[in-house]
Amino acid sequence: MGPAGACLAPRTRTKPGDQWFAVTEMFERAVNIFWVLLGAAAASYAWTLGIIGSSGPDSGLFPFVSALMIMGSGLVLLLQPRDAALAPDFPRGAALGRVLGASGGLAFMAISIPFLGFAVAGFVTMIILLHTIEKSGWVFSVSLAFVSVAAVDWLFGRVLGMALPSGPWGW
Amino acid sequence: MRNPRIAFVFLAISLSALLATPAAAQGDGAKADLAKLKPKDFPTGPIEFTVVYPAGGGMDVTARLLAKHVEKWSGDRIVVNNRTGGAGMVGHAYLATQAKPDGYTVGVIANLMWGDAMLRAQNRWAYTDLEPIGYLNSDALTWVGPTEGPYKGMSVRQIVALAKDKPGTIRAATVPGSMWDYILDQVEANTGAKFLRVPFQGGGAGINALAGENVDIAQGFYSEFRGLAEAGKVTPIGVASSERMSFLKDTPTMNEALGGNEYLWNVIRFVVVPKGTPADRKAYLKAAIEAAMKDPELVAEYVKAGVYFDPKLTNAARMETNLNEYAEREREFYQKTGRLK
Amino acid sequence: MEALVGLLTGFGVIMTPANLYLCFLGSLIGTLVGVLPGVGPLAALALLLPVTFTLSPVGGMVMLASIFYGAMYGGSTTSILLNIPGEAASVVTCIDGHQMAKQGRAGAALGIAAIGSFVAGTLGVIVMTFCAPAIAAVAIRFGPPENFALMVLGVVCTLFMITRSPVKGALMIALGFLTATVGIDVVNGRERFTFGSVDLSAGIELLAVVIGLFGVTEILSNVEATVKSTVVAERIRGLWPTLADWRASWRPMLRGSGLGFFLGLVPGGGPVTASFMSYAVEKRISARPERFGKGAIEGVAGPESANNAAVAGSLIPVLSLGIPGNPVTALLLGALVIQGIQPGPLFITQRPDLFWGIVASMYVGNVFLLLLNLPLVGLWAQLLRIPYRVLFPIVLLLSVVGTYSANKNVFDLWVMLGFGIAGYVLHKLNYDLAPFIIAFVLAPLLEQSLRQSLAMSPHGAMIFIERPATLLMLLCSAGLIALMLRPLPNTKGGRL
Repeated sequence: MGPAGACLAPRTRTKPGDQWFAVTEMFERAVNIFWVLLGAAAASYAWTLGIIGSSGPDSGLFPFVSALMIMGSGLVLLLQPRDAALAPDFPRGAALGRVLGASGGLAFMAISIPFLGFAVAGFVTMIILLHTIEKSGWVFSVSLAFVSVAAVDWLFGRVLGMALPSGPWGW
Repeated sequence: MRNPRIAFVFLAISLSALLATPAAAQGDGAKADLAKLKPKDFPTGPIEFTVVYPAGGGMDVTARLLAKHVEKWSGDRIVVNNRTGGAGMVGHAYLATQAKPDGYTVGVIANLMWGDAMLRAQNRWAYTDLEPIGYLNSDALTWVGPTEGPYKGMSVRQIVALAKDKPGTIRAATVPGSMWDYILDQVEANTGAKFLRVPFQGGGAGINALAGENVDIAQGFYSEFRGLAEAGKVTPIGVASSERMSFLKDTPTMNEALGGNEYLWNVIRFVVVPKGTPADRKAYLKAAIEAAMKDPELVAEYVKAGVYFDPKLTNAARMETNLNEYAEREREFYQKTGRLK
Repeated sequence: MEALVGLLTGFGVIMTPANLYLCFLGSLIGTLVGVLPGVGPLAALALLLPVTFTLSPVGGMVMLASIFYGAMYGGSTTSILLNIPGEAASVVTCIDGHQMAKQGRAGAALGIAAIGSFVAGTLGVIVMTFCAPAIAAVAIRFGPPENFALMVLGVVCTLFMITRSPVKGALMIALGFLTATVGIDVVNGRERFTFGSVDLSAGIELLAVVIGLFGVTEILSNVEATVKSTVVAERIRGLWPTLADWRASWRPMLRGSGLGFFLGLVPGGGPVTASFMSYAVEKRISARPERFGKGAIEGVAGPESANNAAVAGSLIPVLSLGIPGNPVTALLLGALVIQGIQPGPLFITQRPDLFWGIVASMYVGNVFLLLLNLPLVGLWAQLLRIPYRVLFPIVLLLSVVGTYSANKNVFDLWVMLGFGIAGYVLHKLNYDLAPFIIAFVLAPLLEQSLRQSLAMSPHGAMIFIERPATLLMLLCSAGLIALMLRPLPNTKGGRL
């Protein structure tokens, strides 16, 4: 398997004709269209920055060429026939819920850190993640959350002297 | 007060050879005066000195030396924090718009902030959103020439004459969008010379390129070229100040070399707080910085870095007025050269 | 043999209990900092700089330097164990190192990483000892055209990291280039793709991208599965590298050392570039390149050696000329200045005690680090036994703090999350993610040196042919591309 991914999830072999297969095919196509649009938008923005200036390439050249490459690749991918063996196996059901939950947890943390401070935001997020995603018991979740947040806070905040954002209670 | 990284630091200090810094000559009188000005509930935590340039650079070193001495005199804990990006723009915008004006954030910045405020802030903030509370030092922009190659040993006048005879052949290191460009603009406009400008991210990078014979002249500050100059790899040829520097007695000023009085470009380093900081905290911080700046040790360390102290700004009472005057003069320059409408 | 005399002086300076202690302390802190995702040597040095005020100049510099190369030892740990890079220079180690961990060979991977780091670090210092001034004199002549050629070589090496569809790989590279342009154009100071946002005008933080693209993506992928309970499915097989591992690794270690040292010398090179160029070289040279990406130990030995050698390389311009090549060495220079010492070409003659003290400390430091890291291998490998449901929230917390530590800006957390989700989706769609990161890292210097070169050239693009070093590197790049296009014996033909 490739660089960043465990992929020990059981690969549910999607078959052509499967409804899920059609959904994933649409998704892939949408992504390829996205590349084309992104490339086109970036290229036109780069054009306004100027391609060639008085002393050689201007600000826009590099992004322009890159954007064209993105657009071109996206087009090639759109026009290619789809290889069924490589169909992406997006998670379904409970697995999807877990992934969305983890992402949601991170988003929640990013939103709440400025208001609640790192310690509280981290504590709450961890409890949510442990309890809902990994289905751990309340006691376990709360205690692990507490210990981890305290440890990280001690390590970074005290030992390394880095100021972690503090909440309305001062820590 | 929070106890910082006690385990490591305590062990490190306790077992290492201490370079004992001699006690400052001022004594406890000044410290007591400062303590009198301290507001009741301030500070309860570390004060952040924000530096908008990367760690290790000239501004950063200035700030850290200042922080060291302010800590000594006030007893408060100071943490130097580098908020870099956009050649200072990110840090300036942070100080002007996002930092809380509660006295816990202090900016150690330079007059380059005015350029950001006037040309690039897009009306999001103005330089008056940052109130100066102390002047540190000034550094004059210096032209540096090579010690090898066809242009070695030439004076500013000779190089400019060459740049006029053969336009576009003399490679000059510059930092786009700042005084490096402006002085080249001035020289070109006044003498008809034309340089081939090579952009770099800072003066230091340009000087290093000069030492490697990748450009023909470079510009920077004393602390940036001193090491290479002492080793004979580069040599200063012109200073953009009104008088010669005491540590560069043989280097003429740009005005001497080219005539006129407009080649005056320097970096002014000073300390600011965001507008709206409570008056008592602002006064305390101001006094703390003043006390540190009177410390002969700090002055000696700055002098070693090749700075000078502008007499118009060392007088605390007139500092803010004169600083603003300099700022407005810069605005006029931008308007005159069409950069600002 | 004045170098030997100098070295002996240096050992004399450093062999005091105080200085030895500081060297050890720095190594320890460096390892710790390297292990923690996000917090890299730069952050640690900036935080600990005030501590050096109270130390002697030698002591302070020795400690700071040992944190720098110590971080390169520790950085591979989380890369191998958790597929989360300790810092940018360890991204490449994730690729094969983590696969080895999943096959139960974490011990071997960690061991080879530590030993490779030691070999490279020591070899680097030896070269430093005898050749520093000579090398420095050459290095200083490296100008924008040479930098450009080097970056082109780097981009070509990136092509070797594409394991799946070449079109998707090219797209990732182009995307990396495009994303790197967000921010302020250093050549003329104009804002690009910032849309009025102050946060974007600083550019997109590399650390946030790395942790997001590798760390968060990894967490999301793992969370998706319930079947396994620990990171490693198989039993941990032995803690030490086998003889076969040694045989496979010693040559990559040497190659990585050489390559890394050279890349550390040039500004804009450094440990990050060194690590993935070494990976590309190893993959290209290997008789069986299809093993790469599935747990080939050469993919760990080479890069880990390269990033350590790069540290030694990057210290040469600093100590011999007073010229910093990257932010960490710039900070080391700042520390010297604060101590009242003027770095520059005269540093070695004005303060031989300091110069040789630092060089000598690097020999000692590398030994300390080897002694520190090897026993820890067993400990780290046991970490993989912790059930994932306990591990992952902690890893998540560390990722958040690590990312935040870069700029103290919550915006970076959103960048991390965004790239994490995008990385997860793209990985599902069979895109390679490593080329994106590499392109993102290389793009700024590639573009800047291109434009600088053209600005300083009296006859346009001819400058790339006029300068011998530049021409040589460009020819190498062209040669590599030609080699790539020629079909390898076991490529699956025709699949785009």
